[in-house]
Amino acid sequence: MGDKMSIMIVDDEMIIRESFLHWFQKSGHHVATAASGQEALEKLDIFPFDLLFVDIKMPGMDGIQLLERVKSEFPDTIVVIITAYGSIESAVQAMKLGAADYLLKPFKPDQLSLAMEKVAQQKKLVSEYRYLKGRLDNITRFDNIIGQSAPMEEIFALIPQVAASDAPVLLTGETGTGKELIAKAIHAKSPRSRFPYIAINCGAMPDSLLESELFGHQKGAFTGAIQGRKGFLEVVAGGTLFLDEVGEISTRMQVDLLRVLEEKKIIRLGSSQTIDVNFRLIAATSRNLEEQIAAGVFREDFYYRINVVRIDIPPLRKRKDDIPLLVEHFLTKFSNETTKRVDRVTRQAEHFLKNYDWPGNVRELENAIERAVVLSGSRTLHEKDFRFLSPASMEAQPGRSLLEMEKRHIRQVLDECGWNVTQAAKLLNINRVTLHKKINRYQLTRKSM
Amino acid sequence: MDANTDRIGVVPVGAVHEMAPKVVAAHISGYLSLQAESLAPVQLPLHTFNGNRLQYDAGLLLREIESIPFDEHGKIIAIVDVDLFLPIFTHVFGEARQGGKAALVSLYRLGKHGSGLRFESALVFERAAKIALHELGHLYDLLHCDNARCLMHFSGGLDELDRTSFSYCRYCATCMRACLKTRGLKRK
Repeated sequence: MGDKMSIMIVDDEMIIRESFLHWFQKSGHHVATAASGQEALEKLDIFPFDLLFVDIKMPGMDGIQLLERVKSEFPDTIVVIITAYGSIESAVQAMKLGAADYLLKPFKPDQLSLAMEKVAQQKKLVSEYRYLKGRLDNITRFDNIIGQSAPMEEIFALIPQVAASDAPVLLTGETGTGKELIAKAIHAKSPRSRFPYIAINCGAMPDSLLESELFGHQKGAFTGAIQGRKGFLEVVAGGTLFLDEVGEISTRMQVDLLRVLEEKKIIRLGSSQTIDVNFRLIAATSRNLEEQIAAGVFREDFYYRINVVRIDIPPLRKRKDDIPLLVEHFLTKFSNETTKRVDRVTRQAEHFLKNYDWPGNVRELENAIERAVVLSGSRTLHEKDFRFLSPASMEAQPGRSLLEMEKRHIRQVLDECGWNVTQAAKLLNINRVTLHKKINRYQLTRKSM
Repeated sequence: MDANTDRIGVVPVGAVHEMAPKVVAAHISGYLSLQAESLAPVQLPLHTFNGNRLQYDAGLLLREIESIPFDEHGKIIAIVDVDLFLPIFTHVFGEARQGGKAALVSLYRLGKHGSGLRFESALVFERAAKIALHELGHLYDLLHCDNARCLMHFSGGLDELDRTSFSYCRYCATCMRACLKTRGLKRK
């Protein structure tokens, strides 16, 4: 029936063990039996059974003791307790200790079927959880951060130490240096990794929206609040809250957040009830907060509260030794995504990439590789594939208005794509209709090249 | 292989309605195209009665039936009209061991409605035939099936049994054919 499981029957009565054995064999499960708790543990050491049916009353180690041992030593094994009417209280205790179900002997045949369905569902959920957690770990894994340069090695050494503590962390660095990757790595390595990781870009939303997103609101708190909603400070429940571009937060909001950090309590908008919150804060900024404090736009007390541990992430131009590694990483990534086999760069291209200043840092490098892979017609990327990075051609052009810049950029991309509108629209991240409209508006033609 | 082992014997054990084995044999012949015939009744071994449970021990009874030399028949379906139990279960409708020689089918709970009324005999025999075909499947090494309409689907109650159709699903039918072919059994 369904997925076949490996099952062990643990009961001191042979007749019960045989009944179960014959029954499960009819469903094609792999079945073993054990006459005592000790024998069951010995068999579990040899083979990781999916499911155990355990009788509560056994001489020596009883079912409850066996359940405790199994749950601590073989947490993946599901345990169903078998009990008689007289020991129903023990069954309740067993459920509290982590048994998946219990059956009162003798039971109707369909009760066993139901218990098996429940167990199969639980096993499936556990497998799915493990798979998804594996995927998540893969996404947030430490080695997603690429670098062998001295400054990055220092950061790598710092991450496990920082992760182990619960202190707020301030990540500073230019845009595109990978602050969020470091934040995710700290979360993934921390004891809070089983709880949510929530990232908010404070620079991307107005003050009122940010307040509502963080603190939540009661129904009717403001126009449009048609139902109550939990804020991220509540939803994060035990996890890590990453506030990106914290330098963009208004001073009023800084006061509110400072209070939350100190009291670990929040009040939803429109409510008067305080709610306890539990989270670890990681903040990030590309701004110079000391200058902002001097200018009076960032509160000093809030700064000291979030700046308990500080990690400065160097810009890419200060760790150029990492560029070949990063290029290799992104080539693999985009080759896989686009199913185009582009896995090499020429020495000239590598030299060119190492000499470029990368104002947009790793993110700019990533985008550059993606663009080059998409447009490349060969397995190897050449220097010419990265010409679009050269700012010289832009500066030589007359006219600095936004419209002029857009017109020139569209023409350049169209030229690179051989006037393949679909491909150009994809690169420009606009739809084809919009691109056609812009081509008409700027009267761009192949002749205008 | 013995020339007679392709025959299925349906034997009433103890007091059983005379039509029951005939209907079961007819269904086996009809649905499995195997030779099946109703045999003379045998006595119900009274020592298989359990005084504590006030029911008959299906495992014990099955062993008794298996010990009777039915040399003329490859497989035996024993029909009883007593309440059967297994040590872990309150009751069972039938019992067989994987690849065994004999299977049990009990009529006892097939005719009783929860309200106390009795079902029509035709329905009871139909249910008995389904159980016989299910247990025969086990005798030919078929396993329980997920398909709720398949004869090899495990039915814990009468409602579920009634929802089962009179056929094996495509998968179980293939397994059954393969098993019969391996044993060199001739289908009619």
